[in-house]
Amino acid sequence: MSGRSPLPLLGPLLGRRPLLPILLALLAAAIFLADTVTNLEIAVAVFYVVIVLIAVRYLDRRGVAMVAAACMTLTVLSFFLTRAGAVPAGVVNCAISLVAIAVTAYLALRAAAAEAQAREAQAQLAHITRVTMLGELTASIAHELNQPLAAIVLNGNAARRWLAGGNPDEAGKAAERIVRDAERASELIKRLRGLTRKAAGKAIWLDVNQLISDTLTLVETEAGRAHVALRAELAGQLPRAQADPVQIQQVILNLILNALEAVSGEEERDVTIVTSPGRSGEIVIEVRDSGCGLNGVELDHVFDAFYTTKPEGLGMGLAISRSIVESHGGRIWAQPAVPRGAAFFFSLQAGRTGSRGSDQ
Amino acid sequence: MKPASGSETSEPEQVVFVIDDDPAMREALDSLLRSVGLGVRCFGSVAEFLGAPRPDIPSCLVLDVRLPGKSGMDFQKELAHSGTPLPVIIMTGHGDIAMSVQAMKIGAVDFLPKPFREQDLLDAIAAALDKDRLHRTQSAEIDTLRERLATLSEGERSVVALVVQGRLNKQVAGDLGVSEITVKVRRARAMRKMQAGSLAELIKMAGKLGI
Repeated sequence: MSGRSPLPLLGPLLGRRPLLPILLALLAAAIFLADTVTNLEIAVAVFYVVIVLIAVRYLDRRGVAMVAAACMTLTVLSFFLTRAGAVPAGVVNCAISLVAIAVTAYLALRAAAAEAQAREAQAQLAHITRVTMLGELTASIAHELNQPLAAIVLNGNAARRWLAGGNPDEAGKAAERIVRDAERASELIKRLRGLTRKAAGKAIWLDVNQLISDTLTLVETEAGRAHVALRAELAGQLPRAQADPVQIQQVILNLILNALEAVSGEEERDVTIVTSPGRSGEIVIEVRDSGCGLNGVELDHVFDAFYTTKPEGLGMGLAISRSIVESHGGRIWAQPAVPRGAAFFFSLQAGRTGSRGSDQ
Repeated sequence: MKPASGSETSEPEQVVFVIDDDPAMREALDSLLRSVGLGVRCFGSVAEFLGAPRPDIPSCLVLDVRLPGKSGMDFQKELAHSGTPLPVIIMTGHGDIAMSVQAMKIGAVDFLPKPFREQDLLDAIAAALDKDRLHRTQSAEIDTLRERLATLSEGERSVVALVVQGRLNKQVAGDLGVSEITVKVRRARAMRKMQAGSLAELIKMAGKLGI
């Protein structure tokens, strides 16, 4: 499922699932051994909570319950196996350990459920803002679909007339164009479907440049209508990022739509999207506009929920963008652009270098 | 309608200019119009169109509203203001009523929201070409009349100017301070030079020339 971010430190170790049971078993064995060889007065079994806390990150409810039960069984087992120490103290220690493990499992599961709920709420909010953005783009999308449809109708009629006039060559060419234009229309619909999808998809090894190119086709008409020069300066060699394409596309789209709005009514209307490899294994995406800039905007609060400078803004777009970027382990920030306008940046952690092939 | 049997074999006696930034639309329009035997020239932008030579034959312009650089509407406005007689048909991806009213006001022959029926386009093009053809014959006629008018002497021209206002020979003579005979002679000479068979015809010619 999405969003189960690994513990920062154990992440690299635990990221590979097959290793997890072995690691937990080794840890359990070590605690069991220490618990058994030490005196009954020493409650080593309390450390089983570590195993429960790790398990809750990676396993579902039942798995965690089973791990907790196993830990409790081991605790009782080593109580009977331990030779040294006073038995009454051992009973108390054993009880304390059992309660500690049980309570830890219970609380950890509750915390995980709350986290899952928060994630669910965030995903729903993200979906709502995605659909809202689509609403803003409706006119452009309709135009973008209309164009190939109009061409298809004309080509169909042309083919009929060429055939009636005994010119199958030209009719064939028109038919080929019909197929090509229909594919173009369905390609656009495919792209839209991603945005309307309710649940966020899985993280993949994402080619950010490709994603930006796809996103630009959605907003090109919108930009053209507003007479905005929309440019992309994409880095030639960009590492891939492990990210959810739908969510990242939402962030990019949000920043571009904001930029388009910022330059409307300006003399010079430029919006530029730049990608570059950052300093320490990052990918940095910048959306720069030549708009009225960030004067009077509190930079610290731009990304807060319900903070808006637009008369009809909800103040949700950038807040959602921030939560998406941060859940990917990246950062998002804004600064004034040179010579004028605003620049919004966000970073993603880069994975493998070199964006060759189509490994997704 | 007969399909064209190879557009290179003979110069088309009429041509349709198309400006649309979408290559798919250009190709489709090119094919459709050639299939009914029309000459077609397609352009991706207003600048491209302005840079190309235009043959002096009946023609019309099929113009997309949304173009890179100058918009179709702006260009239509410019054409209208500069007095270019080229008839314009406007195409649009999302036709709203306000836009179509505006286009028709500045003299568009037709306004077609995409996707449109091909017959609607062909009808509009036929009407536009007719309009241009009519305009061309009229302006050719006016050119001939102007040439004839230029052969008239100063005196003959002033007689014509007064005669077409309905003044009698006697009154004209009085106005110009010459004899009635002179007026009659100049008037007959002017009628001959203008190739006007009757006074009524001369008056019509004067109307066309704006005298």
